[in-house]
Parts: sequence; structure tokens; C-alpha cells
Amino acid sequence: MTFSMKRSMAILYKDYKDVSKNLYVSTTVLLPLVMAAIYGRMGIEAIDTHYMVINMIFSLVAAYVQCSLIAEEKEKNTLRGLMLSPASTLEILFGKSLLSFISTIAVIIIAAFLTGYNPDNVIIVGMAIILSAVFYIGVGTLLGLLTKSVMEASVVILPIMMIFSFGSFLTPFIEKYPVLKFIEYLPNLQLIELANQVEAGAGLADVWFHLAVIIVWTAAVFALVVAVYKKRMMD
Amino acid sequence: MENIIEVKSLAKYFSDQPALENVSFNVKKGETFGFLGPSGSGKTTTIKILTAQLAQTDGEALVFGVNASNLKKEEYRKKIGILTDNSGLYSRLTIYDNLKLYCDLYDVPDKRIDEVLGMVNLIDEKKKAVSKLSKGMTQRVTLARAFLHQPELLFLDEPTSALDPVNTKHIYKGLKDLKEKGTTIFLTTHDMNEAETLCDRVAFLNNGAIQLLDSPKALRQKFADHTLTVELTDGSKVIVDKGPGGAQTVYDYMSGNKIVSIYSNEPTLGDIFVEVTGRKLA
Ligand SMILES: Nc1ncnc2c1ncn2[C@@H]1O[C@H](COP(=O)(O)OP(=O)(O)OP(=O)(O)O)[C@@H](O)[C@H]1O
Ligand SMILES: [Mg+2]
Repeated sequence: MTFSMKRSMAILYKDYKDVSKNLYVSTTVLLPLVMAAIYGRMGIEAIDTHYMVINMIFSLVAAYVQCSLIAEEKEKNTLRGLMLSPASTLEILFGKSLLSFISTIAVIIIAAFLTGYNPDNVIIVGMAIILSAVFYIGVGTLLGLLTKSVMEASVVILPIMMIFSFGSFLTPFIEKYPVLKFIEYLPNLQLIELANQVEAGAGLADVWFHLAVIIVWTAAVFALVVAVYKKRMMD
Repeated sequence: MENIIEVKSLAKYFSDQPALENVSFNVKKGETFGFLGPSGSGKTTTIKILTAQLAQTDGEALVFGVNASNLKKEEYRKKIGILTDNSGLYSRLTIYDNLKLYCDLYDVPDKRIDEVLGMVNLIDEKKKAVSKLSKGMTQRVTLARAFLHQPELLFLDEPTSALDPVNTKHIYKGLKDLKEKGTTIFLTTHDMNEAETLCDRVAFLNNGAIQLLDSPKALRQKFADHTLTVELTDGSKVIVDKGPGGAQTVYDYMSGNKIVSIYSNEPTLGDIFVEVTGRKLA
């Protein structure tokens, strides 16, 4: 089976036109930038604070926007049209993720500029951020596929946003209750850990484990997305 | 003649409730096949099984000679066009942009958009957002999208239910042109005139099975009851046999100068529908 970039790009182009007429989504994208501008003015030093903004972008732009885009395709019965077209599962999922992915990365770059986040090793941090973006888009896709309408999706995504965007607040609890140790392995905490180590001068050899954990999460979500998507092809 | 669709003893249960119990029929290449039946008789269910959107409980459904559930391959997708009640459009996008996406998905050149919009009489509207369209216009866009890629087999689930008579006629012409070009059409409708106008053969689905299957003409002959209705000057109507038995009666009325009109009782498809299903049209 060959992968047709043309079909994925057609879906991206369609989504772009659609979203540019959708005020609801475009304002959601701008929200984290407002927050970044405020933090930037206050002047922040701590990595954790930069990542509060970045995690907010992951939750709002990657997961939430993606979730609404997918849920709307379901609600309006357009997803079935894509599924019945010659486009393959991969072409559709890839095309359908491009807009959220590009927006996420663009907003993170602008936000980093606004908050003055300048990682010591842009390549490693960039890789980790790109992988995380794919993970959150996967989470958004999954929830979008599982819910029936944009409304339902906006409710279901709230707890997910809580866990992932305020993850770093959980660290004190982990120290208190060892049962919660697994929380450390959440991709958001792994990303912050990686970013902190990079600032302390760590190289790829030191942080590969954190990257690997994020890759495992991403792969797991992707496998789930494909499984649920295949189910959704049939009533 | 080659069969494009072959359905054998098809059954579909929705949690123990039967929608289809024992449905068998074939659709030949190039024919327009009318799939008729009361509301809830399982027409849409059958289309969904035939287009791999629903799995059957039992029986066989072959399309292009392969199991319908295996139609997910690109080559088959390109051969099939579908219009059902779950064919949605992107409401914020224009008609043109909706069809443009499908051109790219089906590898069809953009110039085809104007061709199909001509067929559904929407050329002048193509820059309009779908959310601004009337119900009938929306239905015509969905229809245009169904045959955008010139499919060999077209499933149309009530394609004209929201259309005015002028547009309906225009669509009939378009569908007849498609048939001329060899397209096989699987059509469901509640409009018996539509079935009569478009279909080579019609099947009546009721109580989970096909009750009748033939050309509209053959069915009318089969159900003809060989009677005349004689309308009399006093307003009453008398049914008279067409054979010698009725000759004397008609002669008597005629001699008495009592007849307003006489007509032959040819059943319409609608009459046959009511007789076969025992139900009124939805
Ligand atoms: N997803 C479903 N779950 C449960 N029951 C269903 C489902 N889809 C259809 N049915 C039932 O199956 C039967 C057949 O429905 P179907 O939609 O195929 O009828 P139809 O002939 O297309 O009717 P109409 O002419 O009104 O469109 C109905 O009793 C319906 O309630
Ligand atoms: Mg139906």
C-alpha cells in the first residue's frame, strides 16, 4: 500500500479553510499565547514555569483542538465520507492531525519566544516536544473518536487536561504517597525532567530514557487510535 | 448478464431484533435497481451492509464478486459511489471546497466539479457555504459528490426526498445519462413514480425478506385485475369485468345514457406496494 501525501494534504487544506472560519477553535489557539505574554512580562526563570505554558499548549491546542476537529467530523457525519473514500486509515489520520500539529509547534515556538525559554540543547528538547505533540494529538484523536459530539468531547477532555497540564503539581504527592510513583512516568513529567536535565548540561546519552518513555506512550496511543478508528468504520 | 451485486439469505439482527431475515437478490451490471419497502423495512441497513458500513449477522453479500466486508481496498472504493442519510458535508466550506476535497481523495481532476454541479443544477451556487443552502440544495450537493468520481456502482438512498419537481426531473435526466454510460444504480425511494420512471427492476422488501422482484411493467401486468370502473351519472361507481361477463352490464348502462366515464383498473406500483406490504406509503 502506497501512502498518498496528496490526500493527506487535501485534508489539511480542508481543515485549514474550515478552522479559519471557526472562531471557537481559533480563539482556543490564541489563549495560551496570551498567558505566555503575561508570564513573559513577569519574567520567569524556572523551567517548570515555561513548561506550564507548554503543557497548556499541549492540552489546549494539541489535544483539545484535535479532539474537537475529530468530534465535529463525527457529529456532522463527514468522517464516514472520508472513511468510505479511497484514502487509507494512515492517510486520513495523518492528514487529520497535520493542522493541530503545525499549530501546536508554531504556538510553542511563539510562546517560548514570549516567555524567554531558550533551551541549552534545542535539538534534544525539540525532539522531545515534537514527540509529545504527537502523543497529545493522539490523545485528542482518541477522545474525538470515542465521543459523539463536540459538546461531549469538550466535557470528556477536561479530566485529561487536568492530569496532563497540571502534572508537575503532583510531584509533592508522589513523594508523600509512593503508590503514586507511576505518575512520574507520565509523558508530561518525563518531558519536564528531560528539559531540566538538558538545562543542567545533559546530552542525549543522559536523557534517552525519558525520550524512550515518551516514545512508548506515543506508540501506545497511536495503536489505540488505529484500533478505535477501524471500529468506527462500521456501525 | 454479469451480476454486480449478489445477496444470498442475508440476515441482520440488532440485538435480537430482526431487521433483515432472509434477503436474496441480484443486481445486474448496468441496471437501475429499485429497492422499495416501508419505512423501517431494512433498506438503509442493506445498503450499509453492501458498502461495508455494517456487518451482517448471517448470509452472503457480494459486490463486484467479493465479500462486501472486503471492499475497503482503494480499487473498490473508487468504483463505488454512496449517498445515504449519513453522508455529511462540511457546513462552513463552500460547495466547491467540499467537492474539491473529494476530487483530491478520489484522484479526480478539479474540472469534474463543474460537470457534476451542472448535473444537479448548482453551478451558480458553487461559492456558497453549505450552511447557507436549503435542504434540497444540500441534498443535490451530496448527490453530486456521490457520482463525482464516475463510479461503476452507485448507491442512492432516497436521493430526491427533499427536491422540488423541477429539480427532481433534472436529476432523473442526470441519472438516466449515468445509466446510459453503464453505471449500475441501486436506488431506494418512497416515491413509486420515481421507481417506475427510473428502474429496470424493483424489489419489494417487507418483513425481512424480498416479497416481489420484477420489472415495473411485469408487476403491473401480474397485478392487473382485469376490471373496468364505470362512473355513473348519479355519482356511483361500478366495477365491471373486462371480459364477456361485463359486456352486458356496460351495454345496459350505455343504453340508459348513464355513463360519465369508463377506465381500466391498471394498478400503479403504489397500489402493488400497498397490496404487498399491507401498509400505506410512508
Ligand atoms: N444501528 C441500529 N441499531 C438498532 N436498530 C437499528 C439500527 N439501524 C437500524 N435499525 C433498525 O432496523 C430496522 C431497519 O432500519 P432501516 O434504516 O434499514 O430502514 P429503512 O428501510 O431504511 O427505513 P426508511 O424508509 O425509513 O429509511 C428498523 O427497525 C430500525 O429501527
Ligand atoms: Mg432508510
